[in-house]
Amino acid sequence: MTVSTRHRALWRSCLALLVLIPALAFADPTAPLGKKLKIGVTLHPYYSFVANIVGDRAEVIALIPAQANPHNYQPQPDDITRAMTLDVLVVNGIGHDEWAFQIVKAAGRGATLPIIQANASVALIPIGGDQDGAKVVNPHTFVSTTAAIQQVFEITRRLGELDPPNAAVYRQNALAYAARIRALRAGFMTRFAALDLSSFRCATTHAGYDYMMQEFGLFVSAVIEPRHGVAPTARQLANTIDAIKKANVKVLFAEKNFSLDLAKPIEAATGVKVFSLSHITGDTYSADEFEVAMRENLETLAEAVEFMQR
Amino acid sequence: MTNLSRTSPGDDVNGAVHVVRPASSRWESLALLFAALAIIASVTGYVLLRPQHAGPPTPLSWQVRSFDGLGAVDQAIHSALLPAGEEIIWNNNDTGGWITLEQAQKILLPPFYRDAFWKTNGEVHWQLILPGTHLPHAGSVDDHDDADAPTPPPPSDVSKATLGQGATVYYGSAGRAPGQSAYLLVIGHAHAGVMWANQATIWIHRDPNAPYPGIVKPESLVGQGWRQVIPYDGASEVERVKGNQP
Repeated sequence: MTVSTRHRALWRSCLALLVLIPALAFADPTAPLGKKLKIGVTLHPYYSFVANIVGDRAEVIALIPAQANPHNYQPQPDDITRAMTLDVLVVNGIGHDEWAFQIVKAAGRGATLPIIQANASVALIPIGGDQDGAKVVNPHTFVSTTAAIQQVFEITRRLGELDPPNAAVYRQNALAYAARIRALRAGFMTRFAALDLSSFRCATTHAGYDYMMQEFGLFVSAVIEPRHGVAPTARQLANTIDAIKKANVKVLFAEKNFSLDLAKPIEAATGVKVFSLSHITGDTYSADEFEVAMRENLETLAEAVEFMQR
Repeated sequence: MTNLSRTSPGDDVNGAVHVVRPASSRWESLALLFAALAIIASVTGYVLLRPQHAGPPTPLSWQVRSFDGLGAVDQAIHSALLPAGEEIIWNNNDTGGWITLEQAQKILLPPFYRDAFWKTNGEVHWQLILPGTHLPHAGSVDDHDDADAPTPPPPSDVSKATLGQGATVYYGSAGRAPGQSAYLLVIGHAHAGVMWANQATIWIHRDPNAPYPGIVKPESLVGQGWRQVIPYDGASEVERVKGNQP
């Protein structure tokens, strides 16, 4: 090797070091530069929330198939494979996606996968109606606008910690998304402003709508399911029918996309009019699914209140 | 004919009983006794010393839980104040300013935005009190027209004597819903050195017309009958159900 060749090699090495040292010094251990985070979600609303927060800065991956019913879901091998590739997982955490933790454990990611509890900072409220005198936490925080915005903010804050280079963009996107959700709500608030809500009494088959009702100053007088996802016994059903009659309830909200088996006998026994609200579960995951479903829910709620005014 | 033996195992040829003891006979019963005692002691020890799952936070005398300590209207306003507080803090981080009540109308921010929610939940009169002053900021008084509404209470003497405490406060009073409270959303400001800097705390007063307290430090608020609202949030619920999470 000649002297000039050795010098050239030395220069190359020095140049490489000059480039590499700052790159290593500023390298972020939480999110490698240029690599998009793979963010797992468990439920439909969280797909919409995260997709709107991250835009094109990260990849949103649904942990389970879109058509699956989260209330009784049994983990499948494909879910485990998906969980193995994730950088972070967003969960409801308080009652709808316990199966996610089985999937994460089976994927061997129990100790390595950061979990974002979307409800970590949401003020929970009890299930409406009489739950045998007990105050039972209502986990349906995503069927609302205010609690949904609170979850969007919580997810944004945590994602910003995991992906600092994109934190400002995430926050900007979250604020824009929150503004859209509020605008949606405001449109219906204007419609509600002309209605007398004081006499509105309703029952629901599933304890899924207390957060949404709270936003409009409405309250649930009776819930048919004695516990989340549990069908009532004959005695419990009879007691609920009595409660509906005593409270002068005229409207029953059943579950869209779910069986009306519970609603039909109550309709027959009490004369209530049945309306269907969405639990925000559909056939496909999409960024606008939450807004579409909530618009339908608010439309249904407005129709029910207007029905009561007649 | 063979005589069938009527002896039992252990009998000798003369019919005398001879007890054959197992080799471990001296300690087997004792070992069984010790084993039973050890199991009982272990189970008792586990029951007494097992890690307790955290229950809902117990409020102190000057606190109230949002989950089961508030009426429906207070609960609804508290639920709206939480994300509003977060958005106000983000806005302050980005712009250095505070969202005025005029801006809150433009961005439709509950509970300040005067919509059906505001109407149903008592038509609360909101004021923004900035750090360094006890008076509402210009353009930050919720001046809705309502001849029937009670006049919002003036700042107390204490507040006149103490010009601000380094915290930004959204003060809600004069609500008309039955059983409704007065509200404070207190946002600590990092530069002011208040103890809950960069956080929002929510306080309520049983009297919906409680005057603005002036000093918004916890000990002072407590002395004037304000109670801090402790949210029962998802993190608390997860802790209650699963114990402490990593």
